[in-house]
Amino acid sequence: MSGTSYGWLVLAFPLAGTLVIAFGWLRPGGLPGRLPGWIASGAILGAFLSSIGALIELQDQPEDARSLVDSAWTYASTGDFKVDLSILVDPLSVFMCLVVSGVSFLIHVYSVAYMDGDRGYHRYFAYLNFFVFSMLLLVLAANFVVLIVGWAFVGAASYLLISFWYRRETATRAGIKAFVINVIGDVGLVVAAFLLLDKTGALDYAGVFAQADQVFTHNDGTLVAACLLILVGAFAKSAQLPLHTWLPDAMEGPTPVSALIHAATMVTAGVYLIARTHPLFELAPAAADVGAIVGTATLVFGATVALAVTDLKRTIAYSTISQIGYMVLGVSVFAYGAGLFHLMTHAFFKALLFMGAGSVISAMGGIQDMDRMGGLRKAMPFTFAAFTAGALALAAFPFTSGFFSKDEILAFTVERGGWYLVLAIAGYAGALLTAFYAFRMVFRVFYGNPVAEARELEQGHLAHHAPANPATGEPEDTDVGFPAEEHHIAERERPMRAAMGPLAVLALLAGLVQVPGVSDVIEKFLEPSFADSHFHDTAPSDGSEWIGLVVGGLISLVGIGAAYHAYVRRRGVTLELRDRFPRVHAFLVNKWYFDELFEALFVRPVATAGGFGRAVIETRFVQGFIVGGATGVVRVGSSFARSIQTGYLRGYALLLLLGVALLALYFLLASS
Amino acid sequence: MNITWFLVLSAFLFVIGAAGVLTRRNPLVVLLCLELMLNAGNLALVAFSRMHGGQAGQVFALIVMVIAACEVVIGLGIIVAMYRNRLPIDIDEMSELRG
Amino acid sequence: MTIHLSIVLFLPLATGLLGAFLPREMARWAVLAGSVAVLLYAVALLADFDAGGGLQYVTDDEWIPELGIRYQLGIDGLNLFMVALTAIAWVPCTLVAAFREHDRPKQFFFWLALGETAVLGAFLAQDLALFIVFFDLMLVPFYFMIGGWGTGDRVRATTKFVIYTLAGSLLMLAAAVALGVLSTPDGGEISFSLATLQQRSVSEGTQQWMVLLFALAFFVKAPLFPLHGWVPETYRSSPIVTIALLSGVLSKVGVYGFLRIVLPIMPEGAQHWQELFIILAVFSILYGSILAFSQDNMRLVLAYSSIAQLGFIVLGIFALEEKGAQGAVLQMLNHGIVVVPLFLIVGVIAARAKGSESLSELGGMAFRAPVLATLFLIVTFATLAMPGSANFVGELLVLFGTFEDKLVYGLVASVGVVLAAVYMIRLFGRAMHNRPGPAVESREIDGLHLAAVVPLVAVIVALGVYPHFVVHRTEKATTASIQEARGVGQQVVAR
Repeated sequence: MSGTSYGWLVLAFPLAGTLVIAFGWLRPGGLPGRLPGWIASGAILGAFLSSIGALIELQDQPEDARSLVDSAWTYASTGDFKVDLSILVDPLSVFMCLVVSGVSFLIHVYSVAYMDGDRGYHRYFAYLNFFVFSMLLLVLAANFVVLIVGWAFVGAASYLLISFWYRRETATRAGIKAFVINVIGDVGLVVAAFLLLDKTGALDYAGVFAQADQVFTHNDGTLVAACLLILVGAFAKSAQLPLHTWLPDAMEGPTPVSALIHAATMVTAGVYLIARTHPLFELAPAAADVGAIVGTATLVFGATVALAVTDLKRTIAYSTISQIGYMVLGVSVFAYGAGLFHLMTHAFFKALLFMGAGSVISAMGGIQDMDRMGGLRKAMPFTFAAFTAGALALAAFPFTSGFFSKDEILAFTVERGGWYLVLAIAGYAGALLTAFYAFRMVFRVFYGNPVAEARELEQGHLAHHAPANPATGEPEDTDVGFPAEEHHIAERERPMRAAMGPLAVLALLAGLVQVPGVSDVIEKFLEPSFADSHFHDTAPSDGSEWIGLVVGGLISLVGIGAAYHAYVRRRGVTLELRDRFPRVHAFLVNKWYFDELFEALFVRPVATAGGFGRAVIETRFVQGFIVGGATGVVRVGSSFARSIQTGYLRGYALLLLLGVALLALYFLLASS
Repeated sequence: MNITWFLVLSAFLFVIGAAGVLTRRNPLVVLLCLELMLNAGNLALVAFSRMHGGQAGQVFALIVMVIAACEVVIGLGIIVAMYRNRLPIDIDEMSELRG
Repeated sequence: MTIHLSIVLFLPLATGLLGAFLPREMARWAVLAGSVAVLLYAVALLADFDAGGGLQYVTDDEWIPELGIRYQLGIDGLNLFMVALTAIAWVPCTLVAAFREHDRPKQFFFWLALGETAVLGAFLAQDLALFIVFFDLMLVPFYFMIGGWGTGDRVRATTKFVIYTLAGSLLMLAAAVALGVLSTPDGGEISFSLATLQQRSVSEGTQQWMVLLFALAFFVKAPLFPLHGWVPETYRSSPIVTIALLSGVLSKVGVYGFLRIVLPIMPEGAQHWQELFIILAVFSILYGSILAFSQDNMRLVLAYSSIAQLGFIVLGIFALEEKGAQGAVLQMLNHGIVVVPLFLIVGVIAARAKGSESLSELGGMAFRAPVLATLFLIVTFATLAMPGSANFVGELLVLFGTFEDKLVYGLVASVGVVLAAVYMIRLFGRAMHNRPGPAVESREIDGLHLAAVVPLVAVIVALGVYPHFVVHRTEKATTASIQEARGVGQQVVAR
């Protein structure tokens, strides 16, 4: 089989999984037990194996021929607008396929147990498989239109999964927010695609990139505009400033969804997109600099907010925002290999952190607030170990995966010199905060005095609370549209352990595939995709990378040590800080007031305009002036006509007679 | 014979009929006056037909007669129905079609 | 294979008449069979249509030779999918109407069937006078259906609807007569045949006011801001089947008129007003979207969303560019195919909420009605032009066509895409998600509506997978339709 056939198979498996589960549900009684979960997992495993098949096929090709395009049929073609439904199999897309399907598979397996008992079990796995299909379509697309289709499909799947517990108003509102912000990104991509089509006459990557060199001059205005619009799409999907507000709210979805979509895969699509369109960004470095600056700002922003938030899942969400900031910074300073490497390691450790959080939240009977957690270490040793492994990687503890990938990005940034050093310094500052908040979670959740739920669990009982919305405290039931009562924790469920175990190993060790001066598997593999990059030679030397690693390792140790000091040795230090700087704390807890800003800037004006339109334009102008005018003419005319209709027969006859007489008179006069 | 006389007669008949339609209140008389007007028209048609030597005018006159007959049937029918329903047999009383 | 368009055209009317003389039980089957037969005919047309050919299946007979009016029917890429849309839309609506309890069913069936004939006639006519006859004939059945079977203040609604649209079509009639007379060369025969009119020419000044009169009629029908005054009340008080057809199919006749009549015959006039019409279209998009967002009644959300969607179509047409016009034609089909199931679903939802169509009283319907929710979801996504649906391809082409020469208007219109996502997802969420409203009874969609909606959803999905099916067949005729007006525009620019 050729590489592209494997590419189609990659897409076919999850789509088939969705359909099988959806139609299986229509059977009376649905599919039995955990079967939907296993079908879904099997489909993703199929996609993963197909990705490996594609990988092997690709490696057999000579290096300059590792870019295979295949189209199924003409999607739409008129005039100069020619779009095929086509996929591109090259190292970059295969790399993404492997990461996406691999992590997805583990999260599916985790979900098999985690979602057990939920009344929306079929729906959950149908959505989840649909999401993976969309994500794979996104990364395999060979032209901008198919990319936008995948792009929007993942947005839709994300909406559906955030609103999965659809009787929760907080969840549906979060879903709508995520969807709308994603559509803003879609529109950015659409306009960008037009600008590219207009100038290069093509919509497929190969055509656009081939033409771009000839059509565009360095920092060409149109090209910069197109790249900025691509960035709008990327920022909306990857939750970068200022389009990030949907991601923390997206934590309303089930925890494995947060792990899969809102940490490991979908939100990194923006990074993939920048890497994919790198020939454009290299021609428009002004746009790339915007990406680098926004990425840096976001990584600092996310890390600071993660310091103050007490909701466990939202803390990890802000951490995701911050980590994607690193990736965006990486690909924007043209360190593609490093950015994508961090994308991969982040997928491992962030999925793992979410899985651990899911396990913790189940053990707490649905409570997500870290203020009410503590001392779970003895009750859940497996979860503790896995979560700590994830936190170590997040904190870039020496020789874990995050250590190598994050510091490679920063080393590249330093290497660019000039004002990029400012970005690098901000990156290191962010790293310090990252290490601190990562272990803030570990110490607050697992250390300290065991809370009631932890003690109960040590006795072997799972804590139960009356079902309620964790955000608002509204009472709920456990029927469709609300979470099931009995959630499962990793300590007891084999599928969950089976998913978390490999991820923990990967989080700790995956960094070894790319150690400066020792191995460069990722860089080497991706090289054909970035062979045309002008920044090939700007890679830092192994020596300077190692200097960066040492600095990064020290920063990580300092951050972890500070967290240990603040949350274990001298508990209460943070409370004192909070009381001393209440303004700063409020600023952070309110997430820099972005939500309030958007509310005032966009939501309220639109609502006001709607009210104005309804109250004034509709009634005064449309109904009053236009309709009133038209009906007014008719009314005046008809009241005149009515006044002639006396009802007296003789009146009509007289008019008739007069008319005839006048007519006769006219003809007489006219003829004479 | 000069056609003028026929036309003058026809005009007289028509005006008498029209005056009757306009002034009388009894529907029966109005109907009679209508017949008078129609027949005035018939007279003019036949006279012209005779003058021009064509047949069209006579054919028209025949059609008018048929229509007149139909009209009388319907008109009388309506009058009888009104009488049966004890409605006033007075045209000015019946102005329900007022706008 | 020979296909006689007159059969397609008058088949619904014939079955409607037949139904009027049959007992009630059989009448519904007769009318249903009529609409299904038209659909089969339409499918045969789609299969047989030659994408590379011009006007096909032409019927050309004398009708009123003294006035140069001919009975001319024909199909090309412009109306092929409009005929298909009519056929596809009428079947589910007839189905729902046939098996729902209401007063005087046979009369309703008759008006429904007459409506199909009238709409088909307007789409098929290749003679201006014939077009106007059918254009105005459309009004009659809808007047009776809304007035006779509507709810609420239906008398006021019908009066407004009729006066409004009639005023528009009277102006169009005047313009059409003037066009026929003024375009007749000295000593030539007067003709209303579109093909002949296209070859004759009228002075530019005359074209300008004639285009304006035609546009008034078409914009009222569409409807476009600010001529949509009849919309809210009509949408609110019509029977659901009627409003589905009115919004899904009848609204397309107006915009179709631009492509069929205005642009090819009066290119200079169309070019003259291009800017104004684009501004109206863009304003309609924004205005309709914002108002749709602030409505509480589901029907009114859809009403204002139609204004926005029709704004996109007009924008595509008057971009006077191949991609834009192609997108407009595709979007005409798409909008019809999504709006009909949307209204049927609104009917289903209202039936489960004690007749309430108010979003503030709804909610949580998905709870016990997952199939209904799924169907609604797919249609919602298609309506908001989610990439992957044919609506997206349509909107993409419209926007691309607009960007080409009128970048700023295009950018403003793209805001409408975002707003569409907002109001449609709000509609879906408010009806289906959250906790059930006080009067809501969550019950699965019934078999009748399932049978009506599922085929439409299947068509939506199929078009989303392979939109080129449409684009390929419409390309030739659409390009030809705007060619002259575009040529004029380029001359102006060159000057």
